[in-house]
Amino acid sequence: MGFADIPLLNQIKGRMTWLDARQQVVAQNVANADTPGYMARDLKAPTDFARALREGGGLTMVRTSAAHLPSPNGPVARFKSDKTPDSETTLDGNSVVVEEQMLKMAESRMAYDAAISMYTKSMDMIRLATRKPSAG
Amino acid sequence: MPQSIPPRNDAMAVAASALKAQQSRMRIIAENIANAESTAREAGGTPYRRQIPVFEARNVNGATGVAMAEVRPDQGDFRQDYDPSHPAANADGYVLRPNVDTLIEAMDMREAQRAYEANLNVIETARTMASRTLDILKR
Repeated sequence: MGFADIPLLNQIKGRMTWLDARQQVVAQNVANADTPGYMARDLKAPTDFARALREGGGLTMVRTSAAHLPSPNGPVARFKSDKTPDSETTLDGNSVVVEEQMLKMAESRMAYDAAISMYTKSMDMIRLATRKPSAG
Repeated sequence: MPQSIPPRNDAMAVAASALKAQQSRMRIIAENIANAESTAREAGGTPYRRQIPVFEARNVNGATGVAMAEVRPDQGDFRQDYDPSHPAANADGYVLRPNVDTLIEAMDMREAQRAYEANLNVIETARTMASRTLDILKR
């Protein structure tokens, strides 16, 4: 068992992967803010980030023999993006509102920062537990 | 043999493609404004026709980027001025002027600028997120 198997850290990892993927979707939306007929996309938030990371829809290696080692890393996370038009659609069929995308981006970034802080705090706690008593 | 590298930081690649597309758009706008008064060389000929950039969603490392697909001529009517002494005047004394409205071009330019800034913002945020992750290593 490694650090990454601790449920809390696993959740944080899943959350960060999801936020990273969402950032990419927002980047796509902003890039296509002037493309005719483009519809904005967004990721659905899973309730269990660690499970979403494990069962993210990517490919897993199959163990055809009991002698095979289990693959240590789970499948590559692949979150699905859905069409979610913003509040306005222009005449050329583009449904990206840059302001709303900027809001989403700031939101993801803040959540990402929070996840990072959470991770560092958890690691600090583990570090504290491994320190020898006299070091105070 | 080309190696398949897992795509990293696609957000930056996507935003970069948009920066390029907006730059091309700015170039077209500059052409339109520069030629706002370019008449024909010969009498009764057609003047400069306004150009319109058309964007298209395009694949960038598996993500959806953007690129300028084509440049289309504006089919709008030319302006007409009565100026018989002008070298490009037709038999009735009218000169055809380009169908460029500098006001529309100025608005378009503003829009391109805003879109460019938004994409720069995306790059900045992606960069900050990546460096925050790297900060974990420093501790």
